[in-house]
Amino acid sequence: MATLLWLQTGACSGDTMSLLNADSPSIESLMRKGSIELLWHPSLSDTPPGGLGKLIEAIESGAQALDILCVEGSLITGPFGTGMFDSYRGRPKIQIAEALARRARYVVAVGTCSAFGGIPAAPPNPTDCTGLQFDHEQPGGLLPPEWRSGAGLPVINLAGCPTHPTTITRSLAMLAQDLPLELDFLNRPRLFFGTTVHQGCTRNEYHEYDVEETVPGGRGCMYFNLGCQGPSTLANCNSELWNGRSSKTRAGVPCFGCTSPGFPKDGDLFRTEKIGAVPVTLPLGVSRAHYMAYKNLAHAAAPLRVKNREMEP
Amino acid sequence: MSRTTLNIDLNRVEGDLEFQVDLDGNRVVDARCVGTLFRGFEQLLIGRAPKDGLVITPRVCGICGTAHLYTAALALERMAQLPVSPHATLVRNLCLMAENVQSDLRQSFLFFTPDFVHPRYAAQPLFAEIEAAFAPMKGRIVRSTLAASRKVVELVAIYGGQWPHSSYMLPGGITRGATARDLMDCQDIVDRTIEWYELDVIGDSLDNWLALDSADAFFSWLDAAAHAASALGLLTRFARAIGLQHIGAGAHHFLSAGSWHDPLRWQPPYGEPVGLLPAGLYHANGQLDAFNPDLINEHVRHSWYRPYPGGRHPYIGETVPDYQPDTDRYTWAKAPRYGDKVVETGPLAELLTGGDKLVTSLLALEGPNAWLRQFARLRRTGLTLHLMKQHLAELARQLGTPHYLPPPAGALDQGEGYGLVQAARGSLGHWIQVEDGRISRYQIVTPTAWNASPKDSAGQHGHWEESVIGVELADPADPIEIGHIVRSHDPCLVCTVHFVGRGERHRYGV
Repeated sequence: MATLLWLQTGACSGDTMSLLNADSPSIESLMRKGSIELLWHPSLSDTPPGGLGKLIEAIESGAQALDILCVEGSLITGPFGTGMFDSYRGRPKIQIAEALARRARYVVAVGTCSAFGGIPAAPPNPTDCTGLQFDHEQPGGLLPPEWRSGAGLPVINLAGCPTHPTTITRSLAMLAQDLPLELDFLNRPRLFFGTTVHQGCTRNEYHEYDVEETVPGGRGCMYFNLGCQGPSTLANCNSELWNGRSSKTRAGVPCFGCTSPGFPKDGDLFRTEKIGAVPVTLPLGVSRAHYMAYKNLAHAAAPLRVKNREMEP
Repeated sequence: MSRTTLNIDLNRVEGDLEFQVDLDGNRVVDARCVGTLFRGFEQLLIGRAPKDGLVITPRVCGICGTAHLYTAALALERMAQLPVSPHATLVRNLCLMAENVQSDLRQSFLFFTPDFVHPRYAAQPLFAEIEAAFAPMKGRIVRSTLAASRKVVELVAIYGGQWPHSSYMLPGGITRGATARDLMDCQDIVDRTIEWYELDVIGDSLDNWLALDSADAFFSWLDAAAHAASALGLLTRFARAIGLQHIGAGAHHFLSAGSWHDPLRWQPPYGEPVGLLPAGLYHANGQLDAFNPDLINEHVRHSWYRPYPGGRHPYIGETVPDYQPDTDRYTWAKAPRYGDKVVETGPLAELLTGGDKLVTSLLALEGPNAWLRQFARLRRTGLTLHLMKQHLAELARQLGTPHYLPPPAGALDQGEGYGLVQAARGSLGHWIQVEDGRISRYQIVTPTAWNASPKDSAGQHGHWEESVIGVELADPADPIEIGHIVRSHDPCLVCTVHFVGRGERHRYGV
């Protein structure tokens, strides 16, 4: 059984909600069948009086083993480097996170905030916050790039705003069994970040034939004008549906690239930036010349049923 | 007796809060509600495109992001006087209703009732039943709540693609209109949730339950075995056995901005609120005043922000952090006031201004209290599920009508507007000002800001502070009464307890 402590730093609880939404496996089934012993979760524990304070002390002193430390929320260093925008009993949360990380076998950043900084780290970054081991794209956040947990791994970044529900529970289940979790260039598990959001999007035919919407609310593709970052974002939103039902792009909401370290982008979130008639950010790995060539061809080849937007996304 | 200070640490709330109470003997004589987290969301929005608020503000809160999204869309619609179709308002309401049901259920059975499974109550006659139903992560009701709350937000995913944190409401409507297929899926989700609510939560039919219209009718209803054994029956019997109907009164003034915009009447100029449950300020003496958003103002006299005198309306509000420990300022929360009044917002307020006869009668009988506040939350769940059925019936008539009316070019480039909705925890407002196509000011007043506010410029305590003052603690080393009271407000915060007395510091969690 793996012991787990879930710490919220500058968090909105969105990843906790995502955790509660995971149905297979669910957090309660992992606990009941004995994979995970939840030492502490801010929303779920009924720890007896003094529990959390004692627990932190016991972990820091080594008396209590900590297998998995989950951190939800950005790591706030303000004001003036004190960390006191986010404190617990007069102690900055960043200090607690650092102290617990030192003792943990695995450290998991749940959500883009603790992975890369996320929304609170967007300009002007009013609270001087950062991710655990990245500051946006830059390696090194609260912890330096070379930092490794007890099991020899960097911080495992379960990016997403929020993280996909079963990405959380399946990753935790794997760590509890000490199964290897191969990480990508941003320390995200490849298993869950090895597809683009575009893969499996039900608007794909519209994208393929360059049938692009200029106003929201329609059936066509949102990549060219409406800010959709699905073709350049690594996440499983369209291969593992959300809440067992759908995804943002299927529902007509552009992908805002929330699993990426640059989230949220600086420009208008509902508009695609272009150089001339070509988007600045092209589908992952596609060159500008090739993009223009195949789009012109595809546009010309579009069947009427797609041009007329007869296909239901 | 000597005066001592308790710093109270509460988990099973959302966010961060430290609660300090001064004791005279065992009686709470003063209280300070300390927000220990500042995230600066309002600053992040300045200089961004007006619609970016639809992506940024839902991330203020993972548990009520739909409410933030709805409010942000309303503020832009009011600013640009954009019409919205009944189809879009029906879907928006349905999504907000689903989110609120989720929140009410999780708050009741994951956050509030675990306090009943406390060693102090082991000798209570109902304890075995309480444990079987409410033991954290294991109890029968807890497990079925986890499944039911997971199910109901699937409705949001049908229209928004995911819950939490999507951006499917736009000024002018929603990104995806309902189809007949969606309608079938939604009906199934709502029917199953109602079935569970009837079976596990109330032990009766929704219609019977909603027909209860007085305290007497409710207490007779509670005598029936099936009702007494239901989650609501158990919660009520146990809460009353330990005296929660006598503590936690608070402000005595109840604010609601009105629940669920009437889809058929919600149109520019967006003047009077057209809530299906009306807006208003309800006073514990039974008086009901009309709602006036101009009366909303925020004080910072006891908050860590650049000081200004008195209160400011959100249109002229500012949020400039100014951390000053060791002064008489003690929190990152501001103090919203309605005129000069300290108010409570949330389900209890909503049902009082909305004219729910049962809750009105219970308030008249015993005054505001911790049990009634929690009871009102589960009462609202029933009413919400009933309204969801009605909404789906109306949505069936609107299939094929427009779901999105594109704003004219430049409509969002200039102006100011506000939006108000009733989120799970009460009245939520966004106030936006836009200049040259960029946000120049954004102010958010959350439900918990109302409830958890510190003292204002006139020295009046906030609602939570007021609700614990006067409480007698059985054991100051384990102040569980405060846990019951504070959690009955459904706090959106996380806190810490240490007990300071005679230079000695002990730490406790509730």
